[in-house]
Amino acid sequence: MYRYDEFDAAFVRERTAQFSDQVNRRLAGEINEDQFRPLRLMNGLYLQLHAYMLRIAVPYGTLASRQLRMLAHIARKYDRGYGHFTTRQNIQFNWPKLRDIPEILADLASVEMHAIQTSGNCIRNITTDQFAGAAADEIVDPRPVAEILRQWSSLHPEFSYLPRKFKIAMSGGPHDRAAIRFHDIGLQAKVDDRGIVGWEVWVGGGLGRTPMIAKRINEYVPNEHLLAYLESILRVYNRYGRRDNKYKARIKILVHETGIDKIRDEVAEEFRAIANGVLTLPQAEVDRIGAYFAAPEFERVNATVDVAKERIAEPAYGEWLDRNLHPHRQPGYASVTISLKPIGGAPGDATAEQMEAVADLAERYSFDELRVTHEQNLVLPHVRVSDLREVYDALVEARLATGNAGLITDMITCPGMDFCALATARSIPIAQEISRKFSAPERQKEIGDLKIKISGCINACGHHHVGHIGILGLEKKGVENYQITIGGNATEDASVGDTLGHGFAAEEVPDAIERLIDTYIARRETPDEPFIAAFKRLGEAPFKEALYGNG
Amino acid sequence: MEILTGNELMSGATVYLDRDGNWVEDLQRARVFLKEETEVRDAAIAATKKTLRINSLEIEAVTLRDGLILPDRIRERIRADGPTAPRFDRQHLDRDGHVSI
Repeated sequence: MYRYDEFDAAFVRERTAQFSDQVNRRLAGEINEDQFRPLRLMNGLYLQLHAYMLRIAVPYGTLASRQLRMLAHIARKYDRGYGHFTTRQNIQFNWPKLRDIPEILADLASVEMHAIQTSGNCIRNITTDQFAGAAADEIVDPRPVAEILRQWSSLHPEFSYLPRKFKIAMSGGPHDRAAIRFHDIGLQAKVDDRGIVGWEVWVGGGLGRTPMIAKRINEYVPNEHLLAYLESILRVYNRYGRRDNKYKARIKILVHETGIDKIRDEVAEEFRAIANGVLTLPQAEVDRIGAYFAAPEFERVNATVDVAKERIAEPAYGEWLDRNLHPHRQPGYASVTISLKPIGGAPGDATAEQMEAVADLAERYSFDELRVTHEQNLVLPHVRVSDLREVYDALVEARLATGNAGLITDMITCPGMDFCALATARSIPIAQEISRKFSAPERQKEIGDLKIKISGCINACGHHHVGHIGILGLEKKGVENYQITIGGNATEDASVGDTLGHGFAAEEVPDAIERLIDTYIARRETPDEPFIAAFKRLGEAPFKEALYGNG
Repeated sequence: MEILTGNELMSGATVYLDRDGNWVEDLQRARVFLKEETEVRDAAIAATKKTLRINSLEIEAVTLRDGLILPDRIRERIRADGPTAPRFDRQHLDRDGHVSI
């Protein structure tokens, strides 16, 4: 893992001291809220419905045990004993008091963490595939480059006041597990004819009120020119992005209105002016940062686990093995997804005790490393297959052993109107009811891979546009109403879901979802045909009929 | 009919202006402004802004039903009671978090 150098440590320490002073001045009445608000947002501090909310950055979703333990400490000492993991691989605390924020930031700084760039019109936390550095199908671990991009983008003087926020996601393999086509910039590792790894660059993707799939702007940018190329994109956006209308200010609108060919030309011209300059990445620097992410010293083991046999012996363990393991690049190892989606729970929430239990497991069984996923789960990236049973038993004890990764109950869900000041409807109760309705393991297994994503407003923090089934909560004449979309996909086969008709009252949503599921099961060609494949083959008609009848 | 609501500076807690000019936690103690009390309401807003202690100050439409104040918006009902899922008690004012105008 990356460790702060002197510059990083001093920078975070100074920022903490600066914001502490700003908090004190606000509390003393020396500055008003209009003056303080932009300052607190630059430090991840929002004011939500019931209280302040502090959003803490987890760069590229990677955490060490000591960092997760510190988050548990903060949850217990300053909050209400839990935290909420987000779709940006960050963590949020929902109940901090303003006067405690300086102490929280100092605690975070002590473990090389902060809350900078988790808000505001700057380059936000860079996200990656949660299995980075571990996945069997990976071309390259994207985290060294993600760390270089973090250093480049942190308080970048030219890009601290962009027209709007700016999000970058990276995937180190051919399978997109980071939703890169729905980010302002998406980077996908690619190998050129000489076998040298570089990046395919996508631009102008996004969700929100105007969902857009990113367009490919460059098929291959070598590592050494990546910073200059991204700087060129940001310069074009900073110059031409709209500032007169916040709803049209994201780069996706600029790309859409200008056209990708013109944008590509503008970026190329900018790139010509700055290429081979100070932003050229020396290989020595790539190697230096890369050394922080060197693979752990894996044992040469070839252990395997017989999932079918384990399922007979203990169905819950068998199901967990079947769903929550991901193939590892090292024989004898697996990556373990720790589901934060217990049946009927609040998606993405973990108690302080659970965080400590996971930190212990990471320390003992995963080379002290863990990940946050954009699907609001945690991951132990490097677990010996021979240790899986012990890990599972510990997760059972911590109430974290739900074997539902990628199943219908593993939903992305934004905080919704229970917490968020922007929301127009609640999200979490909808997720809980769906989770309860489909709680039976046999039923979930019968349905198979399915991604339901729920947002409590059009800003789409719950990624509803790219859910195989998406649910969008709105307020209609004083009542919560939920639109259902179908056919979204956040992977390399990117698509935006379509609304099939009128919305539903909250209590009608679980039954509506069940009608879609029953239609899929009745119409699929084989039990192995996933929901999204069946939808693409069948089209919307049978699903529309399931929701609205044939009148 | 309307009430005034906001979030107290130190705790962020949801608060309401009562008849005595105190910002309190209990929605049912909120002062209800009638249509013809716009000037009084606006004077209260101006006085509140001077304290620098109440954020997200908003005018909320309410209905009186069976002697209770019922916000028209669901959002405001949730703000008054705390999150519904997971169910949490609302944020409370600290001892030094009381604000008056």
